[in-house]
Amino acid sequence: MLTGQAARGAFSVLAALYVAITLVASAFALPARAHDFWIEPSTFHPRPGGIVALGLRVGQNYVGDPVPRQSSAIDRFFIRQVGPDGKGSQDQSIEGSNNIDPAGFLRADGRATAVIGYSSNGSYIELPADKFEDYLRLYGLNAIIAERDKRGERAKPGRERFYRYAKALLTGARDSALPAQPLGFAYEIVPDADPTVPAGPLRGRVLYDGRPLAGALVEALWRDDPRVKLAARSDPQGGFSFALPRAGVWMIKSVHMVRAGFFAPSDWDSLWASLTFNAPIAMAKTVSDAGTQP
Amino acid sequence: MTGPAVLRLRRFLSAACLLMLTYGLLSPLGAQAHEIGTTNVRLTLHKDNTWLAEITTGPLALLNKLETAAGDWPSRDLSADAIRDRLDAIKPAIAPYIEVRFDGHLSPARVEIAYVEMPADITQPSFAVLLAYGKVPARAHNISWRYGLVYSTYAVVFADAKGDSPVTQWLDSDAESKPFPLVSAAARPTALRIAAQYLELGFRHIVPEGLDHILFVLGIFLLSSKLKPILVQVTCFTVAHSVTLGLTMYGVLSLPSRVVEPLIAFSIAYVAIENILTPKLTPWRPVVVFGFGLIHGMGFAGALADLNLPRDEIIPALVSFNVGIELAQLSVIAVAFFTTTYWIGNKSWYRAGFEIPVCLAIAATGLFWTVQRVAGL
Repeated sequence: MLTGQAARGAFSVLAALYVAITLVASAFALPARAHDFWIEPSTFHPRPGGIVALGLRVGQNYVGDPVPRQSSAIDRFFIRQVGPDGKGSQDQSIEGSNNIDPAGFLRADGRATAVIGYSSNGSYIELPADKFEDYLRLYGLNAIIAERDKRGERAKPGRERFYRYAKALLTGARDSALPAQPLGFAYEIVPDADPTVPAGPLRGRVLYDGRPLAGALVEALWRDDPRVKLAARSDPQGGFSFALPRAGVWMIKSVHMVRAGFFAPSDWDSLWASLTFNAPIAMAKTVSDAGTQP
Repeated sequence: MTGPAVLRLRRFLSAACLLMLTYGLLSPLGAQAHEIGTTNVRLTLHKDNTWLAEITTGPLALLNKLETAAGDWPSRDLSADAIRDRLDAIKPAIAPYIEVRFDGHLSPARVEIAYVEMPADITQPSFAVLLAYGKVPARAHNISWRYGLVYSTYAVVFADAKGDSPVTQWLDSDAESKPFPLVSAAARPTALRIAAQYLELGFRHIVPEGLDHILFVLGIFLLSSKLKPILVQVTCFTVAHSVTLGLTMYGVLSLPSRVVEPLIAFSIAYVAIENILTPKLTPWRPVVVFGFGLIHGMGFAGALADLNLPRDEIIPALVSFNVGIELAQLSVIAVAFFTTTYWIGNKSWYRAGFEIPVCLAIAATGLFWTVQRVAGL
């Protein structure tokens, strides 16, 4: 009999196989106006005391344009690392200069895995109906298409306010429990354990307002070749699992969309979560085993 | 870095900062899109019937886009020379992504890689400059621009060879610009036009975008159906928020929005609750409204601060923005008066049947927002 965790893993792998086949090719074929957002440190392995430049990127397929720091757009931009006594955690704001890329700098502690967090204030965007629906389909937001259909809005432009929730892990001399702890973002990808150390398949949860979100499309992209892409739907506990087939830098991402409030100028709020980190070893023998495409 | 490289870097940074500063002024008010990236374009029309586009962009991102579009692996950790060599090798692949149209007809582009800067210092930005050029057909009336190798929001500046009257359009990723007229170039916005823009911004900051400010003004209005209490409160509120708006814009005052926004929400609840408790203008009410006005002024300043105003435009912007706010406040009061108080203000049931229930609703909303903003929900 399968244990709960094993069942969760099996569910996610099956979901990955199904979703990856249907989505990966289309991701390259469709020009989408909605783009991912992630943190790109100058290094994922900072030496203690070394300076790390933190770039923000907007783009797709792990190819992104640099985004200069814009303080009015930032809600939180900080690093969480273990406390000076090796216990607990402490947060520190990321400093930087407005309108400059890289968006922030820090002096690395390097003792244990640290978490960089970035959350944005909302930004408004309006897309023509066809482009909005393309993007909803591409990001697996089929429920929103159905909801727009039910409301008779499919021919109307998509008016949304989007929020970014990006995280990056800086590998330290030892592992840390911090990556497995939520930062408190409205939408967040939280690994079950520190993924910067070898520990089998990557397992984690997607949290919306701190609670597990079921049915969310979660994707994993390998930076060295973004065509190596895995996809899965989160299980009822918000869980997902990826057997990452390559060592190197990965981005895990997911988008959630909800109806905006009655008084909001937009119809929808979209929440964009990403997690970038360096996986030390491959977790699956072949790419095809994990449902990726060349 | 060498001297010329430093000069180019300064030029790049100056252009980037200038474009950032003008973003709020020249973009359609309130129309935001993707994050603003480091890409910018200057499209110049020359007298010899040619056009030239100088595209400044991130070098590695540019190369990676072309590589992935060609089905190759994206390169990493390349030097400036290596990126330049690779871009030179595949530059014909860039041209199809540059669409310059005259009256809707495509003018084919040729592309050169002007230079690539990749400072060894990781705290400095990297950038590449592409030069694209082509011919302007005879008797063309307008030109439009589209660039398919950008994911962020960026500025394209249309200019003639002299650099007179440049006009900036902000485009979201691969969107096409509006047609830019070739014959009569759009004039630089006049001072009057700029003032009108800030006046509109101030008005829109209250109506329709500032529901919290609207509820506060309604709270002031609902204290009494008499004119004097309204005038006293509006005057106190106006003086107070004008003071802090100015002081905040000049950096004299600074409170984080995490503090200001909950206080604004609380102010709404306070005035509504006091309206329920007493229909009279108490001696402390003008003082309290003045205090809340100071807080609201800091909130108003946030909208202006986001525009990164040039320092010499702060005063005209402040004045016209403030006038816009006042007009919006007076509009709210006028609409409220002529739709309710004018008709029912002298009814015996006005206070119990209208004023108190509305104030209860406003107070509940204010308290809800206070909790929501304090909790950061």
